[in-house]
Amino acid sequence: MPLLDVRNLTIELDTPHGRVRALEKVSLTLNAGEIHGLVGESGSGRSLLARAILGIPGPNWTITADRMMWDGNNLMTMSSKERRNLMGSDMAMIFQDPSGSLDPAQTVGSQLMQAMPKNPKAYFWQRRKQAQLTAQKWLHKVGIKDPKKVMASYAWELSEGECQKVMIAMAVANQPRLLIADEPTNSMELSTQAQIFRLLSQLNQLQNVSILIISHELETLAQWCDHLSVLYSGQVMESGPTEELIATPYHPYTKALLDNMPDYSGIKAHKAIMPTLPGSAPALQHLPIGCRLGPRCPEAQKKCVNQPSLSHLKNRYFACHFPYHGETTNDDPTA
Amino acid sequence: MFRYLLRRLYLFLATSLVMVGVLFYTTGLFPVERSFALTGIHAPTANQLVQIEQDYKLNDNQAWQFFAYLQQRLSGNLGVSVTSNQSVAEELSAVLPASFELAIMAAIIAIGLGVPLGVLASQSQHKLTQNTIMAITLTGYSVPVFWLGLYLSLWFGVDLGWLPISGQLNLLYEIKPITGFMLIDILLSESEYSMSAFKDALLHIVLPATTLAVLPFTVVVRSTRSAMMNVMNQTFIRAAEARGMHTSTIILRHALPNALIPVLKHLGLMLGSFASYAIVVEMIFSWPGVGSWLVSGIYQRDYTVIQGGILAVALLIIFLSILIEVLHTVFNPLSRKDLYAAS
Amino acid sequence: MPPVKIYQEDQIASPMMRVWQNFSANPFALAGLWTIAFLLLLTLFGPMIAPFPPEAQDPRALLLPPSWDPSGTVAHFLGTDDLGRDIFSRLLHDAHLTFGMALLIVITALVTGFIIGSLSGMMRGLKSSILGHLLDALLSIPSLLMAILVVAVMGPGLENVFWAVGIALTPQFVRSIHQSVHEELQKEYVTAARLDGANSLQIFWYVIMPNVWEVVIIQTTLAISAAILDIAALGFLSLGAQAPSPEWGAMVAQGIDNLLTAPWTVTIPGLAILFSVLAINLVGDGLRSALAPIRN
Repeated sequence: MPLLDVRNLTIELDTPHGRVRALEKVSLTLNAGEIHGLVGESGSGRSLLARAILGIPGPNWTITADRMMWDGNNLMTMSSKERRNLMGSDMAMIFQDPSGSLDPAQTVGSQLMQAMPKNPKAYFWQRRKQAQLTAQKWLHKVGIKDPKKVMASYAWELSEGECQKVMIAMAVANQPRLLIADEPTNSMELSTQAQIFRLLSQLNQLQNVSILIISHELETLAQWCDHLSVLYSGQVMESGPTEELIATPYHPYTKALLDNMPDYSGIKAHKAIMPTLPGSAPALQHLPIGCRLGPRCPEAQKKCVNQPSLSHLKNRYFACHFPYHGETTNDDPTA
Repeated sequence: MFRYLLRRLYLFLATSLVMVGVLFYTTGLFPVERSFALTGIHAPTANQLVQIEQDYKLNDNQAWQFFAYLQQRLSGNLGVSVTSNQSVAEELSAVLPASFELAIMAAIIAIGLGVPLGVLASQSQHKLTQNTIMAITLTGYSVPVFWLGLYLSLWFGVDLGWLPISGQLNLLYEIKPITGFMLIDILLSESEYSMSAFKDALLHIVLPATTLAVLPFTVVVRSTRSAMMNVMNQTFIRAAEARGMHTSTIILRHALPNALIPVLKHLGLMLGSFASYAIVVEMIFSWPGVGSWLVSGIYQRDYTVIQGGILAVALLIIFLSILIEVLHTVFNPLSRKDLYAAS
Repeated sequence: MPPVKIYQEDQIASPMMRVWQNFSANPFALAGLWTIAFLLLLTLFGPMIAPFPPEAQDPRALLLPPSWDPSGTVAHFLGTDDLGRDIFSRLLHDAHLTFGMALLIVITALVTGFIIGSLSGMMRGLKSSILGHLLDALLSIPSLLMAILVVAVMGPGLENVFWAVGIALTPQFVRSIHQSVHEELQKEYVTAARLDGANSLQIFWYVIMPNVWEVVIIQTTLAISAAILDIAALGFLSLGAQAPSPEWGAMVAQGIDNLLTAPWTVTIPGLAILFSVLAINLVGDGLRSALAPIRN
């Protein structure tokens, strides 16, 4: 049974321009113990999806879905109190701006100690000392060299990498089953990025934490993730195991993303044009009907004004009327 | 940090010096005899005249006169009041605590009621609640304070008879002034009527404190609301929510400490109007504080009282605004970053 | 006829149009603007509309209640005070005293403060710091105390109110203009303009001014409301407008003696002050929220 099963999630936003469907019929399946990557350009609605799963919607959101199951429990019928409890204990999230995720008015240590799990058997006066020790232990585990110094400093005194490690420590200390990482390495250099990703995969192997990584860099995710989902402008384009997806992409958008990655091995002709899709991602006010890649897609035809449903072929999912390597698929009407 | 404090101290001294200079300049402009304006002695005898000339260096040039003036004032000689023939410094020390009491009570009411209401206004989703609170604050901001005072005393004092409308304490009670703060004095005194006197003093302070509290209350509500709205959008609040913290815990522990910092700054900016309103409120409710003392001084053209009063109030305001600025820097982690990065 | 729109176009309005659109979307702000226009008309034409001269005492009509009370008459629309003077006429005559004086003070303070503030904002070094100290010292004397000082020097009267409130308001303008000019000077587009070869005057006029004027406008509305309240408070304390003057604050002071028997002598001038200040604050608030999203 998958850990997280989301089917046909639709999020509508009430904007001054009217009601826009930011996410349209998004499906996501996450199994226990896997690292799942969510690829998408900025503006494709990835953070919306993460917040909807976690349960912190914005004030003007309307969320509808066929299914939103967490480990067999239906998330949509839970009360907000139960959702809150779930948030702290089973699901955790780390954000894009690590030094902004820490309260600037308090020391890092006090926030870390607040986030540590409480030992119910400990006596009242021992709690603080225990929280301190646990915090130091976790800081050591995430790879921070000098836990005491880090705990005594403020958020603006630490580097981005250290802050992100602190956030990961805070998130993982409560032994969650799922960790959602929303662009965790956006503002870091490559060496720090590698450290963070190595830490995440260690946590995945040792603590058996499933991780959902959201990013826009396909090459980074291809390196670390088991499964990938490709999102464009609020619609799922393709989803499947990483190696198969990279080797044989079915969807034109995935192929375009793979083509975008510069190939440093061969010699390029002087002033050769880099292969990209024409145009740019649509704004929320001007979303195309049907498949939202339509205006830019090289394979688009008249049929694409109807949104393709998610087809299932072996363990690959894709939403396209004219996929590559496309044997006629059995359009699973219930998917 | 130390250098910052030193710079603030220097600012305080420099501004106070300029203030005394301005006062000195205006004493020269008073339409009366120079020595009278400086000391308050109406018809000095020959000996006194000599003494005055020596003290204030009236025969030297302006710069020496200014130094002499500064010296006199700093040593506590504020002259003699024309109307009561008592030392101005003594009268000042008698009326200052009453004004402080009023101001502190008004500040407590304003902050105690204002911060929760501001938090409520920022959190509530109903348009009606928000609009009501904004309407109330806007009206409170626009009401002329003397009119409000008159009306409150009319309704609560006369029509309903619940609250007394003038003075600090019913004249029947005799409380020895120890600290000058009426409420503390009552608690410290050994009179057997102390409990009822305390209640009576509390009743007396309610109306003036409430009238005075209206302006800071509106300022606190508005700036708390806008500060809270700014803070709640920030990433660390979202991250704390994602950790499963309840909204009330988040507000108390993370949002409010960060939001109160700009509120402090706005309070510091409001000190001047607060002092003006305090003077008017003291006049209306016959509260024996610096304001009514000063205004009766101006009615009777008591120049030493005027100088003494303005000096005291202005120095207090300078001190308080620098204090608030220092507190703001101490509690504001971002400014500490600027300090360390700059120095 | 406007051209027919075939394509779905997004018309992006200029910043000033956007401010006006945001402002007029707020009904309260518009109501405030209309009230201010009305008050301006009263200031200019009030004395001509008033049915009675402000000093006319009618000994037969002492302490008449306003016309909606059964014992009032329409001739004295808002009632009379204890000397038989018609309150409505006095209100109209005074509009130019309180409101007009406030506008005059604020405009003078604005011009003076603008000149001094921009000069000191563009300057650096010892001169600006001395000026800063002088202004801080003046800023810390509340307007009422300044008025007391001025009255002590020059004696009471409405002209002295002009000086008192003016001297009290100018430092605020100077301080806020100085701060915003200083802040603008740190921005990178100023450096870019300087690298382009602009001299200080050009930088000031083309680069800094457009970004500073919104602060100026907001400060002006705040100052007008503060000025009205201060003039009224000074009139109330008889430090400004003196007794028989129809100034709104002085009217309240004159009505206190009859507070219990004839409360309308106190209510009505107070309401007049309240409405004018409320209107200005509404406009100021509306401007602030209209300008806010653009500033971000």
